[in-house]
Amino acid sequence: MKRLFLLAFFLNIVFAVNGQKYMTKNGFIGFYSHTPMEDIKADNNQVVGVLDISTGEMVFQALIKSFHFDRALMEEHFNENYMESEKFPKSLFKGKITNLASVDFSKTGTYDVTVEGDLTIRDVTNKISTKGTIEVVNGGINANSKFNIVPEDYKITIPGVVRDKFDKSMAVTVTMKYTPIANK
Amino acid sequence: MKLYVKIALFVVLFIAVSGILAALILYNEKHPDMAKAKPDFVVTATVLQKEFEDNEAAASARYINKILEVSGTIVTITPTDSISTNISLKTGSDFSSVICTFPAITDPSKFKTGDEIALRGECSGFLMDVLLNNCATVMNRK
Repeated sequence: MKRLFLLAFFLNIVFAVNGQKYMTKNGFIGFYSHTPMEDIKADNNQVVGVLDISTGEMVFQALIKSFHFDRALMEEHFNENYMESEKFPKSLFKGKITNLASVDFSKTGTYDVTVEGDLTIRDVTNKISTKGTIEVVNGGINANSKFNIVPEDYKITIPGVVRDKFDKSMAVTVTMKYTPIANK
Repeated sequence: MKLYVKIALFVVLFIAVSGILAALILYNEKHPDMAKAKPDFVVTATVLQKEFEDNEAAASARYINKILEVSGTIVTITPTDSISTNISLKTGSDFSSVICTFPAITDPSKFKTGDEIALRGECSGFLMDVLLNNCATVMNRK
């Protein structure tokens, strides 16, 4: 049912508009945390992202299992112990560019934006607000942002022994290269 | 030192060293090499996508975390933000494909849109498309 809704949502985007919506299925979200022993780093290049330039609305959806670590064991722990990706397979962000007026989508260039919205991880939703850039390029729009999240905010429990080794927060990087949906 | 103390010490040392070794090996373990891995399922992109579209729960239970050998036609080739490359395969749906992330392609020029390809990868699940990770080609027919 949820998936039907999602499909309807995206189909709606595909059919209902006139070049106002941009999309990617190859978006990037990565996170990074430094520990004295080693760096914790994972990449996900299978993020679905939609941007509506008429309203500034942004949606990202990612599968937790698509986060890829260099070490197989770390990936297994991430999925099984921390994220419980079988129980909570998806993560979602729904938000909005709050200063949409300062972006000229008809002119190539890089614009600073602020994005506010709801980030849902493990069925826990928190409001986040972050700075980023919108880059208008020929044939598309790129969106970039870097922000920090605290695992505990999403009820991700990291055992004390391990917890002390982490930075308190994880640095999250988002890079989207959108293309207009109408041209598809 | 008595002989049994020596033996006991040796046993303790042996266990400790092999424990550390085992931990190190486990810790440094890489992902399985898909070019050599034995697939759990052999399926076409069209069939795979349809199974997820018709019944995501059943298809998820069947395929997620499994090694799939998938064949199909290349629709798009997208270099990603890191060193990996995403290749999407044609399915029966216009909106949904099978997106396969290759960790590092040494020679991206060997792939062309429209090529028939067979690849192996680990199934992560379904968003709008079926997602495969850690992919490697089985063969690349022209």
